[in-house]
Parts: sequence; C-alpha cells; structure tokens
Amino acid sequence: MLSFNSPINEEKKYNDLNIIEVEPIIKINLRSNKREFSTKIGKILSILPPNEANTSSGNEKFNLLWLSPDEWLIYSNDKEMSLDDQTNLEDKLFNEISKLNQGAVTNVSDHWVMINLNGNKVYDLLSKSCPYNFNDFKNKKGSVAQTIVNHINVILHHKQENNLNLFVRRSFSEDLWLWINDSARFI
Amino acid sequence: MSNNLRINKNNFIDQTVRISFKFNGKKLFGYKGDTLASALLANNIHLVGRSFKYHRPRGIMTCGSEEPNAIVQIGNDPSLTDPNVRATEIELFEGLEAFSQNCWPSVNFDVGGINNFLSPLLPAGFYYKTFMWPASFWEKYEFFIRHSAGLGKSPTKPDQDLYDHQYAHFDVLVIGGGISGILSAKLSAEKGLNTMLVDDKNYLGGSTIYQDDNNFKINNENSNQWIKKQIEDLKKLPNLTIKNRTSVAAFHGYNYLLARENLNDHLSSYERKGNIRQRLWKIRAKKVVIATGAIERPLIFSNNDRPGIILSSSIKKYIDYYGVKTGENISLFTNNDSAYETAISLNKSGVKVKVIIDIRENSNSILSKQVERSGIKILKGYTVIDTDGYKKIKSFDVMKLSKDGGSVVGNKITYKCDCLGISGGWTPMVHLFTQSGGKLKFRNNDNVFIPDENKTPSKQISVGSSNGDFELDDVINNTVKNIKIFLGLDKNDLENLNIKCSKEKQKRNIWLLPSNKPISKTKPFLDFQNDSTAKDVKLALREGFKSIEHVKRYTTTGMGTDQGKLSNMHALGIIADTTGTNMGDLGTTTFRPPYTPLTFGAIVGRNVGKFFDHTRKTAIHDWHVKNKAQFENVGQWKRPWYFPKNGETMHQAVQRESKAARESAGILDASTLGKIDIQGEDASEFLNRVYTNAWSKLAIGKCRYGLMLNEDGMVYDDGVTTRLAENHYIMTTTTGGAANVLSKLEDYLQTEWPELNVYLTTVTDQYSTMSICGPNSKKIIKKIIPSLDLSDESFPHMSFKNSKINNVNCRIMRISFTGEHSYEINVQSNYAKDVWERCIEAGKEFNITPYGTETMHLLRAEKGFIITGQDTDGTLTPSDLQMDWIIGKMKYDFIGKRSLYRSDTIREDRKQLVGLLTDDPKEVLEEGAQLVESLDKPIEMLGHVTSSYFSPNLNKSIALAVVRSGKKLKGKKLIVPMENKNINVTITDTVFYDKENKRLNA
Amino acid sequence: MFIINCPYCGERDQTEFSCGGEAHIERPKQPTELSDDQWAEYLFMRKNIKGIQFERWNHIHGCRKWFNVIRDTSNDKIHAVYKMGEKPPIKSL
Repeated sequence: MLSFNSPINEEKKYNDLNIIEVEPIIKINLRSNKREFSTKIGKILSILPPNEANTSSGNEKFNLLWLSPDEWLIYSNDKEMSLDDQTNLEDKLFNEISKLNQGAVTNVSDHWVMINLNGNKVYDLLSKSCPYNFNDFKNKKGSVAQTIVNHINVILHHKQENNLNLFVRRSFSEDLWLWINDSARFI
Repeated sequence: MSNNLRINKNNFIDQTVRISFKFNGKKLFGYKGDTLASALLANNIHLVGRSFKYHRPRGIMTCGSEEPNAIVQIGNDPSLTDPNVRATEIELFEGLEAFSQNCWPSVNFDVGGINNFLSPLLPAGFYYKTFMWPASFWEKYEFFIRHSAGLGKSPTKPDQDLYDHQYAHFDVLVIGGGISGILSAKLSAEKGLNTMLVDDKNYLGGSTIYQDDNNFKINNENSNQWIKKQIEDLKKLPNLTIKNRTSVAAFHGYNYLLARENLNDHLSSYERKGNIRQRLWKIRAKKVVIATGAIERPLIFSNNDRPGIILSSSIKKYIDYYGVKTGENISLFTNNDSAYETAISLNKSGVKVKVIIDIRENSNSILSKQVERSGIKILKGYTVIDTDGYKKIKSFDVMKLSKDGGSVVGNKITYKCDCLGISGGWTPMVHLFTQSGGKLKFRNNDNVFIPDENKTPSKQISVGSSNGDFELDDVINNTVKNIKIFLGLDKNDLENLNIKCSKEKQKRNIWLLPSNKPISKTKPFLDFQNDSTAKDVKLALREGFKSIEHVKRYTTTGMGTDQGKLSNMHALGIIADTTGTNMGDLGTTTFRPPYTPLTFGAIVGRNVGKFFDHTRKTAIHDWHVKNKAQFENVGQWKRPWYFPKNGETMHQAVQRESKAARESAGILDASTLGKIDIQGEDASEFLNRVYTNAWSKLAIGKCRYGLMLNEDGMVYDDGVTTRLAENHYIMTTTTGGAANVLSKLEDYLQTEWPELNVYLTTVTDQYSTMSICGPNSKKIIKKIIPSLDLSDESFPHMSFKNSKINNVNCRIMRISFTGEHSYEINVQSNYAKDVWERCIEAGKEFNITPYGTETMHLLRAEKGFIITGQDTDGTLTPSDLQMDWIIGKMKYDFIGKRSLYRSDTIREDRKQLVGLLTDDPKEVLEEGAQLVESLDKPIEMLGHVTSSYFSPNLNKSIALAVVRSGKKLKGKKLIVPMENKNINVTITDTVFYDKENKRLNA
Repeated sequence: MFIINCPYCGERDQTEFSCGGEAHIERPKQPTELSDDQWAEYLFMRKNIKGIQFERWNHIHGCRKWFNVIRDTSNDKIHAVYKMGEKPPIKSL
C-alpha cells in the first residue's frame, strides 16, 4: 500500500468551535448540459443533481452540490470507502457519462481538502475574511456557497445548524488552516 | 497635584478610580471616564501643541473628533508609539504617556515660534512661490523644509499590535448614538429588523445624556432622564448589535461601510496583551441611518486661536460630563442661543460667567432672559475684535458692531478672562452622506449645507442634527416622522411626545467678524491646524484662484488631519462674501474617506507577516524542507530553488545538480504546473482553436507541446497536452499562468464558441508531478513499476501510459524539458510523497539528484527552450521566438492567428530571441542587461538578456536575449555595457546543447 | 465595492468577480478575411464610456460563468445583468 498523506491531519478545539480535516473522502466533479445526464446520475447514485442554485441533494452515502448550471460536486460521507470502491465509482460514472459524451467526470478527491467546522461561532469565524452574506445560508440545511475566505476560493456546504464542510484546494489548505486557527483566537 | 478645576458632582466620571498618566514627562492624575483632554484641563493645562506653520501656542479647543489643536503623540515605544492622536478622543488609561507634537525643544519654549513673528513673510502659497527657482536648489530647500515640517513621529519598528477585520450584514445600520440615532435604532430593532448601532464614544446618548435642565423636557422628564430609559430599553432588544468606540470611516457605494472599533486603546498596556487592538468592520447594510450630529462652529476674529479659547458647547460638556472647569473666569462669545445653555450649566456648577458677547442685536429667548436674571452681563450687538495672552488667553477686546455688521463703532472695552467660549452656530456632519455620493443643498436662513433628500444615491437617510435639525423638538419629531417612512413602520409610541425646548433658533451669521484694524494687521484663523487665516483666503482670491478646490490647496485650508471639520464653512463663507457668490452655488470641497484617520494596522488587519500573502505548497513540500531545499516564490507557490549540500553556495549546488541530471538522473517536483482536464466530443477541435499547431491528428496516448497566443498574436502560455482517450485530454500550463489560462479558455467556450461541447476542470492540485530525467531515468521507473513496458517502441518520447503503483492509479508521460530521456509521474497528491520517496530510494544507486527551479532553468536554457514570462513578456510572437515551426499555417483559424500577419508583426526589425555567447566563457551576463552595438553616444539599445547561466555541461557561459532584427544577426558582435566594464558577446543559435536531440532516446 | 447580482448565484460581493471589459464585441467568424484595419478595430478599439456601459463580468470565485452587466461607470449603479447570448434587457438609458 502507498501511504496516504493528507495535508493537515489535525483537529482543533476552541470555545464554541471545532475544526477538523476529514480525509480521505472521494470527491468527483461533474459537468454536463445534456438532458439525460440527470437521469444517469440518479441511476448510479440514487440522488438527482439539484437544479436550484446554491443548494445540494444527498443521501446517507453521498452529497451532490450545485456549483453552476452545468457543474456539480459529489462527495462521500464515508471516510472508510476503499480505494477500489472509489475507483469503481469513478470508472462507472466516467463510462456512463464522459465516454458517452453526456458530460465530464473528473476525480478531484485530492484537489479539494475537506475541513469540518462546527460550533456556535462558525459564521463569526468565516466572516472575518469572507464577504458572503450568511444570513440565509445559516438557516437553510444543505445550502451551498462558493466564495472566498481570506481571498482563497472555497466551497461551503451547510450540513447541520452551525456545522459546515469547507472545501479548499490542497495547495492552499495549510495556509487557510493556519488562517482559520488564527481567526479562531479572536472570536 | 493640582486638581483644583475638578468639581465634585454627580457626573460621568468615576472619582473613586484615580488614573496616573504623563504629559510631556510630567506625572499627572485623572479619573476613570476622562479623556486625555479632560484630564489635562482638570490639571489646568491648556497649552498642548504648536501650530504647523507659525508654531503658535495652541490649546484644547473642542471635545471631539473635530479637534484641530490637541494632537498628541501617544507612547514612546518605537514599535507602539502612535502619532496624531486627538487628546479629546483618547480615553485615559493607567500609564498613558502623551507628548506634544510639532515643537522643539518643548511646547513651552519652541524655537519654531519665530515663524510667528515672520508670519508676514509666510503668506499663502509661500512655499510654492519661493522654492520654485532656481530648480537646482530644490534639494537644499527640501532638507530644511522636511526638518521643519511634519506632525508627529512615525514608529520606527514593526507594529506589535494585532488588528483584524469582520464582515457584517445588517438590515439597518445606524451611525451615531445620540438621541436621533437611539430613536432610529429603537424603531428599527422593534420592527424586527436586524440592526447595528455604532457610536465613536464609549457611551450612548450624545449630548442629551448630560442635558440635565428643565428647559429641555420630554414627557415632563428632563431630557437626560428620558434618554437614559430609552437606552436601557434599547439594550434589551435581541436583534440589535451595539458597538461603542466604533467610528465609521468610509461610506462607499452599495451601502458598504468601513468602521473602526477600538477594542483596547483605552486599556493599560498590561490589559492589552495578546488581544486585538482595533477591528475594522466591513458592513453591508440594506439601509443606513446617518445620525452623526453636528459640530459647533468657531467664530472668526483676530487671534481667535489662543489657548483657552474653546467652543462653547465643549465647555458645557467638560463641566456637565467630565466635571471639569475650563477656567475660573470664563466669558462667552456667540451668535446664537447655544452659549446660554453653557452659561446655565456653568452657573449651576458655581462657575462665574463674566460676560456674554452676543452679536445679535435683540435676542429675547427664554434662555437669555434666564441668564440675564442670574446676573450675567450680556452685550448685545457687540463683537470680540482681538485677544491677548501668549500661552493662554488673558483678555479680549470688544466693540459695538455697526448696523450692517460690516464694521465696528464706538469705544473698545477690554475684559480679563482665562477662558473664552465661542459659538458660531452648528454645522451638520454630512461627511458620510457626501462620501456615499450624496449631494448637499444650502439652507440660506441659517447658512448650513444639509443632505438633499432628492440626491441620495442609496437607501439611506440622514436624521437629527446631521440633517440640519439642531433643537430637541425638531430632532425628535423629524427623526421619528422620517424613520417611520424610511423603514415603513406603523404607528409607534415615539410619535406625539410632549417636548419642551426653550431655545431660540435664530442666529446672526457673520463669517469674518470686523475689527478696528485693517485685515492685514489681524490674524483671524480659519484652519487652526494648518495655520491658514481669512487673510490667506482673501489673498488667494486676489491672486486669481476661483474654484474652492484650488483655494483649498493653495492656502491648505482644510487639509490637515482634521480635514477642516471646523474651518471649511467659514472659508466658503468668506469666499462667497468676497466674490459676491451665493454659497449654495459655490458648493463645498469634496469630503473623502476616512472621516477620522485610520491606522495602517486596521487597514491591513491580520494580513501581515506569514499572512501577508498566500503560501501554496506541493504535496512533497515536507520532503523538500527535510532535505534542506532553498525555496523560491513562484507566484504564491513555494518551489524548491536548489538543494545545497554540505555548505554549498547556490552556484555550486546548481552546477552539481545540472551535471547529475545529464550524467545520471535528476528528479524535479513539477507539481505546480497548471493541469486542466478536458472532456467532451469537441475537445480536439477546441485544442485546434486555442493552440497554434494542429491537434486533430494527435493519436490517443500521445503528447504534444503547444503554444497559446493572445488575440494580438503574442505568446501567452505554453505546455504539453496529452490525449488520454478519444475525447479526453489533459493540458498542462505554466505555473504562473494556470488560473489565467483556465479563465481565458472558459471565456472562449462560454462566449465565442458555445457550439463546442467541451468541459474544463482544473486538476492542478489533484495530481502531483515528479519529473525524472537523465540516462538512468528508465532504470529507475522500471524499478518502481516493473510491469510497465518502457521500450522505445512501446513507450516512445512524447507518449503516455496509464499505470498503477500498488493500487493507486498514475499517469506516466515520457516528455522532457531538459533534453534528456525523461519521464513524468502524475499521481493523486495524497500519495505523492510516498511515490517521490520510492523514486529517491530506487534512484540511490544511480545517484538520483533532486534539483530545483534554478537547475531546471539552466538545463532548458542549454536546450534553448523558452520560459514564458521570462524569455517572453507579452510582446513576442512565435516567429520572434524563432518558433515558426509551431504555427499551423494550414489551419483556418486559432486564437491570435490573424495578428501574425498584421503590418506590425511582420516587421523584420522586431525584437527576436537569439542565443548569446560571451567572448570570455567564464563571464556570466546579468539577466536584464542591455545590448548595444557601439558605445558612441547616443547609444542605441538593441535588446536585453532574458536568461543567463554558467553551463557546467558545456563549461561556458550561455544566455538567451531578445535583440532587434536578431534572426539576421547570427555571428554579430555586440556589447553588454555594465557599471564598471563592457562585456563582448556574439549572437548565436538558441540551442547550445545536443542540437540533434540524441539524448532524448539515450 | 459593489454588489453584483450573478444571474446564476444571486447577489454577491464584487470581490468574487472579475471584469472582462466591454461587452458585445463579437470575435469575427472569419478573421483571415479581414483587413488590418478591420482586425485592429476588433482587437484594440474600446469605447471606455463615462456613463452607461455594457460590460462582461465573470463570477470567477463562484460559478465561473461569464455574463453581461449594464453599469453606469460614473456612479457604479448597475442597471441590469443578463446571461451571455441574451439580448440586453435595456437598449439605452
């Protein structure tokens, strides 16, 4: 086996705030503007890709996040999913969609790093460097926002009240992790 | 300790908590709740600074952010000292040390004071007029000017304080916690709107909170009692955020406001440790209520700047709020009823007011009658014409005004005093309104500029004094009425309050009060901080300046750190009077952010030190650190630059790495290259359109180098793209160009070519890339992936194979940026460190040498490969780079094609890429050095060096350069002139090493 | 810092967007048939209006979609946003 090295591998606890890197998690980027795409995804994942902006769909296994009218992100809830199962899922989606010219399927498991933020001060923390207006987001389970935190691109997914998953590009993740921990000192 | 000016009464100062502080080295005491200014006044210290130009003694003049004189330096720690702080705003804390500014050797004896006697020689525009000629003398003048100018000292060491930022989104932002702000916030929050209330003071209630007088009543309670209850109610509202010590600095478009919250400027250094000093709030509000109040105007008469001359309303605040007498023998000078409020307050506190000079002929208000009844003398229709006293006012002269107010008549009367209160009426604080783009209108009856509700750019409203309502009844009634409409409220209990306001609203406005002397013999100050007088403004007008913006800059009126909060109106009034213009037509100068100065710390927040810029790291970064890599910043990436061994210099390390890569094996972390995953049935056609060369015939499993242009025909980016499957490609871009290339390609797909079915997904961070090159690279790959067929037939140069290392997928490309036989392994980033270590382990027997960007650059330069952004600068076509071979002339179109035969791009004398060899092979050129043909003046610049190295493999210096008509100049001798020598060079081919490309298959 | 109503994601802060200059300058379908002057017109000439301007914006830190904005450059007021390929909802103001 090759050894797996996620970039952060850490958990931090503050007053009213917990932050933790959650890896390994399979993540697959989907692109399509074809009509049958939705049905195909539904068949494979048992979830339909959401059409409404800034929302997500999901079941106990997977989350499907709206990123743009022709782009979605799948991520798994299961850290224990085996590498072979991950490869099989990716291949299945690729063969059904990309190979049949129904869109694009791209593995982005290691492109994005997932950080879970949880606690009453989550939105105060992000608002230190994020211009996004969380007033609606924080009350709507499943909300999705692509925005910037300290000028770094992130995807935010509302999981529960005051509990969200943040996706950041791997190369920026350590920088953002340090920034978030720095911000956490002052909330 | 002389604390004899403090009265014992029930005010807002906690006299049980004594605070010690130092002013100009002298130890003094004040109380909790004091500002530095109130504590100084309690210690009978008025003189706090010297004026900017004439070095005249200046004293505390106000009690707020408009203070022009009491500007002090706080602290003397070289990293924490803070210049230009208003003593009227800084709250007293234990251990505070403050110093006067702009004086030497001390505020009491200032050498620069001689300027005061030279002042007839220092009129407006003096510096402009004097130092213009001779031009060559400027450097000498500058030395002296710099030494005599400047307010305060900058810190000399890095700031140790912490600052941060906070975005906030509210339905309603109310700026100002005076009575109109309190009522607005209450109405808004009670309606259920998410509301924020900010005030720059440490308390709420504005001037109403200390207005304890039965002339001013709300529902039969004194107004201070009533407002106290309102504030208590307010604090209970759940959807209201209140921020004290928070000053709005800027009001931008779309209701975006910046506010600075002072979190520990009022604390002793012991209490501050490790906490945020100031927080910059970035507020978005759906609606904004400006309730910033008004500031009192001074009166403009000769020598109106002496210490002890204080705004009348400030005297009232010092006695009512701080319990501090500003003098023992106070007189007042006014053009309106406000001074009578002050007189009543002083009287109540047992301070004798000697005389009130009122320029109004007949004022019979309730307040003035009450004052008269208490035995205070009132001179109606009189004016102060001059004052006396150097470090503090001692007396003032009074004369009767003529009927028209244009001159003085009768005899001069002199009154002794130690404090003179002045009141010229009120100026609404419209700064934020105008910052937001709002336009003002002029109200003729009392000479004020107020917000024009028809020229308001966003959803905002100005209420209270900032909207020109100066008296209690108008403030409350109009605020409630207007907020009701603004927020769409129903009936509320703040309507129909029973309000008693005994104040007379009439004033008599004379901008420049007359004197018995000609104006040339007087010193009527307008801008106290910048020392400009009414005389200067008149001089500017005589000299032909007409626009107020020009007069402002010529006289520097309103250009100090106080931004002319006190003086602007008078300057405008005098211009209007002198030129016979209506003030409304004249307009005002522009108010620009920030309203009060911001610290640089607050502006940058936490983006200092390690957070100054982002740091991007590859998945192999930790290995590089462990193996002593020196890093280079490439964009935001940290890339290994070179790996020094045993104390090697950079040169030694790079020479070693370069030789090893060609002689045996080298390994490079190339993960930072941009990677774009391309899928879709039109992917090949898409590549045809974006690259200059042809792509349709690229077989599956093959790689090709591509050059990307801008529409102007200039080289933009380059990289290798691999065909993974029929409609599936992976494109690589340069490290620095990755984001821009993706954005540009998306732009074409979305806007110009929507008919193409192509999807782009960035995978730069998904895959890490390690490049293994050199004659032994094949053996190393074989050891790591024994199952892979590496024969030239099965896996030739410029081809790719999918493979697995253990059960992890990876892509192997046989491509080369060094000219050596080489492979690139692309693997999911979270496994990359392991794969890298396996390569190092497998390569040990071949002395595999990790190398950094410097060696990579050297190796490719030996081969004449360009680096876009280093050898190109956006002005070179492929032909300029001698890369005509990569232009698909048969292709109908691609980005930039049409530009390649514009009249300008086909010129033969364009700058073109060439190779350079120095006559002395040991001489290494400097990148950026100029190339010339002869040293006869004028010297013509022919081009410059773009890349230069000492090649260990060729054992000589090599360089690339761009030279005018370079393609034709092969063999030509040129000169590189340097500071202390001239280097002779010869133009050569761009390929220096292995011209036949034999090593690719070695 | 204005707020832009992305036609896909809704109202967002300006910092999430990048501006792509003047809108409705279509890339010529057959560049090779154009004279130098005609090509230069497409390549270099921009109106740079003080007042109502039609411009292209990209929600670069969001959905990555390009769209059009009608903005008054003198006061930053945005009069309309509309998707690529759509006709401007307002002809002129």
